[in-house]
Amino acid sequence: MKNLGLYIHIPFCVKKCDYCDFYSLCHNYELEVEYINALCSHIKAEAHLYKDYNFDTIFIGGGTPSVLNLESFEKLVNCIKKHLKLTQGGEFTIEANPGTLSREKLECYRKNGINRLSIGLQSTSNKELAVLGRIHTFDEFGESYYLARECGFDNISVDIMYGLPNQALDDFKKTLDHVCEFNPEHISAYCLKIEENTPFGKRQDSLSLPSDEEEYEMYMTLCSILNKKGWSQYEISNFSKENRRSNHNLKYWQSEEYIGFGPSAHSFFNGKRYFYSKDIKQYIKQANNGNVVRISEDEEGKTHIDKMDEYVLLKLRLSDGISPAEFEQRFGKSFLSEYPNIEKYIKSDHVSIKNGFYSFTPKGFFVSNYILTDILHF
Amino acid sequence: MNEKQKNIRNFSIIAHIDHGKSTLADRILEYSNAVTKREMEEQLLDNMDLEKERGITIKARAVRIDYKHKDGQEYVLNLIDTPGHVDFNYEVSRSLNACEGALLVVDSTQGIEAQTLANAYLAVDCDLEIVPVINKIDLPSADVDRVRGEIEDVIGIVAEDCPAVSAKVGLNIDQVLDAIVEKIPCPQGDENKPLKCLIFDSHYNAYLGVVVYVRVIDGVLKPGDKIKLMNTGAQYEVVEVGYLNAFGLQKADKLSAGEVGYITASIKTVSETRVGDTVTTVENGADEPLQGFKEALPMVFSGIYPADGARYNDLRDALEKLKLNDAALSFEPETSIALGFGFRCGFLGLLHMEIIQERLEREFNLDLITTAPSVIYKVEKTNGETIMVDNPSNYPPTDTIKTAYEPTVNASIITPTEYVGGIMDLCQDRRGIFKDMKYLDSTRVELHYLMPLNEIVYDFFDALKSRSKGYASLDYELAGYEPSNLVKLDFLLNGEVVDALTFIVHSEKAYTRARKIAEKLKENISRQLFEIPIQAAIGSKVIARETVRALRKDVLAKCYGGDITRKKKLLEKQKEGKKKMRRLGSVEVTPEAFMAVLKLDDND
Repeated sequence: MKNLGLYIHIPFCVKKCDYCDFYSLCHNYELEVEYINALCSHIKAEAHLYKDYNFDTIFIGGGTPSVLNLESFEKLVNCIKKHLKLTQGGEFTIEANPGTLSREKLECYRKNGINRLSIGLQSTSNKELAVLGRIHTFDEFGESYYLARECGFDNISVDIMYGLPNQALDDFKKTLDHVCEFNPEHISAYCLKIEENTPFGKRQDSLSLPSDEEEYEMYMTLCSILNKKGWSQYEISNFSKENRRSNHNLKYWQSEEYIGFGPSAHSFFNGKRYFYSKDIKQYIKQANNGNVVRISEDEEGKTHIDKMDEYVLLKLRLSDGISPAEFEQRFGKSFLSEYPNIEKYIKSDHVSIKNGFYSFTPKGFFVSNYILTDILHF
Repeated sequence: MNEKQKNIRNFSIIAHIDHGKSTLADRILEYSNAVTKREMEEQLLDNMDLEKERGITIKARAVRIDYKHKDGQEYVLNLIDTPGHVDFNYEVSRSLNACEGALLVVDSTQGIEAQTLANAYLAVDCDLEIVPVINKIDLPSADVDRVRGEIEDVIGIVAEDCPAVSAKVGLNIDQVLDAIVEKIPCPQGDENKPLKCLIFDSHYNAYLGVVVYVRVIDGVLKPGDKIKLMNTGAQYEVVEVGYLNAFGLQKADKLSAGEVGYITASIKTVSETRVGDTVTTVENGADEPLQGFKEALPMVFSGIYPADGARYNDLRDALEKLKLNDAALSFEPETSIALGFGFRCGFLGLLHMEIIQERLEREFNLDLITTAPSVIYKVEKTNGETIMVDNPSNYPPTDTIKTAYEPTVNASIITPTEYVGGIMDLCQDRRGIFKDMKYLDSTRVELHYLMPLNEIVYDFFDALKSRSKGYASLDYELAGYEPSNLVKLDFLLNGEVVDALTFIVHSEKAYTRARKIAEKLKENISRQLFEIPIQAAIGSKVIARETVRALRKDVLAKCYGGDITRKKKLLEKQKEGKKKMRRLGSVEVTPEAFMAVLKLDDND
């Protein structure tokens, strides 16, 4: 039996944050009920495709999945359990935002098998939280966090951000220190990216953002402090305690397969990449009619080289990097003769070799797009 | 003199750009029924697309028109079109030499401009009868009386009863034809004298070889005649002679004194038939050629390189094809460390350069990188040797130079009075030496400056236009070489000299130029993983420095299931951009960087 990852998209939020460009709507109960029904029909209708697979990771993401009413939540989880084969002890994550969690909810999550919680904090400064358009304060995060611990969550991830408007290196260090004090098992730290069609994108010019150099300093500080305090980096933006990496997210970077359900959800299944359109009404309609349209992401005539490139660019997001031996086994070609340019970045300390594995250094991670355009074929 | 010549009128139309020369030519052809309106392609004489777009005539053409005058007699009118830009002054003068008269077209809303004057003086030099024609009288802002006065005062020719027309709407064109017949003298050649024909243009035709356009001064020319080009000494046998009508070539038995027509003689390239050369017969030929022959000498040089090195051969083929019809274009292979294989091309002037570049890109579909235009410097070295330098990288080291000379021009600028101050500042800044200033009337001034050509070839024309809201006009002619304190300015990227950026500059301007170009380069070099110093140096002395800081951040921090395809597309796009970069040693530079250093607006 082969393993698969499962992603469920919950496109609802209490309020959309000013920087976010993920597909998400303002939460309303009627739509939630309609949507969960549609999701369940979709899962049920497709279940036969996955009868030969074990789902060893499940990730309920969003949006803010923790806005779901418990009734809806249980309906969804029951549907998943009923129609798909889950690996015993597999990773089961739900994303949550402070301000949407309660003891009742957290207990219900535990009861239903959720064993990993990913909490969006972003900053420990209430001023920065307000700038980002978050609905919660730092204190509310603390309450949710301790509540989760009390309810038995022993695998918690916290999301933070840097490169925020008016943020100085010291401001970010404070957030970092505060988060470390909570001692979560996992930390994701993202550099704010201004996306078009977001409130931030529209007032980009009036946002006083740190320079590339300052962001670089924040990133280097992030990597070194977390490393010193016991979280080891395993991906460009992800850090964890031992054995606490996100197994679900690792699938994305290791070119392993996963299927997604919900509008805008992406899948990689049987070697093919596809997604569903970003329109909840349309999704509900199609799911109820039993034909959710898959939109293929694969270009015509995808070659061996394309597949190698994709593998390399994903693998190089990981601190473990690429094993030339594994590459050769997978593609039947020598890694270095396919990607000879990578070697010149060793001297400049952007790339390192450890135990024969090629990987980016933190400095290299932060300019990885530039280096990838040099080493990949395309 | 025979009777036939009495009814021939050979004339040109001269004008400042946009004063309506080509439109008037069209109307004359139409009115005299050389073409009907239906057959008329707008502005028949300008038959290159590029000319139409730019509204200028690049190559001269000639048309023979049969016209019945009101006196009842049939006349042959030969209209010889002239190129309308300062770069082609010599060609204009040869066309004028083939005529006895010229129509001087002046826009009644603008009055006399720099090229009106320059062309009028050329016509006077050629002893032509000048017939002013005041055009665009249909426009509300037309001021015919003022322009008449201006022509009389400034040029000194009678304009009291000259035709006032609207070529656009076809008003009073009959008066123009009458004036041609009545005012322009007939040719005075002698059929019995040895043959002398003036070559005023030629073009390459795939079937006939070179078609040579001539004005027969004396003698008679027939197919089968053995001819000689007196300045080059080349000999040919005439295959065909004839006239040029509105739609092409019309064969004839012979061409005789006073007539305008063409010759074919299995000639392979236009560079063999130079404009201004004299055609005579091999036997019993003329003793002396016609005066005024000059070889078309390129004045402005620039390196032209294919953006894609693999297209070097395509570029060579394209230049060869253009050269077939353009004797003034010169090119020879050149190698640049920065840009690879390309050609050093010589042009008559900036417009000529722009036209060639545009034709290469448009007609031959080439992507080009061009280096900053340069002029030819004359250098007397301490060892007694004198060299001409058309490529700045070849400029000798300062300690081997005794005296350096640069070409200068007499520039004439006509401008509305309110812009005089700004323009004088500009000329001063460009090292111009003020000669004189003349009021054409109470609102317009003509300024004369002696200026180094190298100050004009960069962006002088653009600067002039921007300082005069587009109203000032410029004309210039070469005025010889002057000693000058020149230095060679090198640019180093990451410590390495980029030969394609090297240029020659007057020592007083070296610092400002160096600083400006260094800044421009900084804007045009994208960040790389290491810091890139940009240095401007004279010899080993660095006089300006900028730094392109190292790239610190180029990352997609967040990449999950949904982002994989998107991320790949982003990287592909980024890679596409990178492919267009030129590698200069260890530094990648956009092709635009080379162009950016060309345009340095002083008003910045």
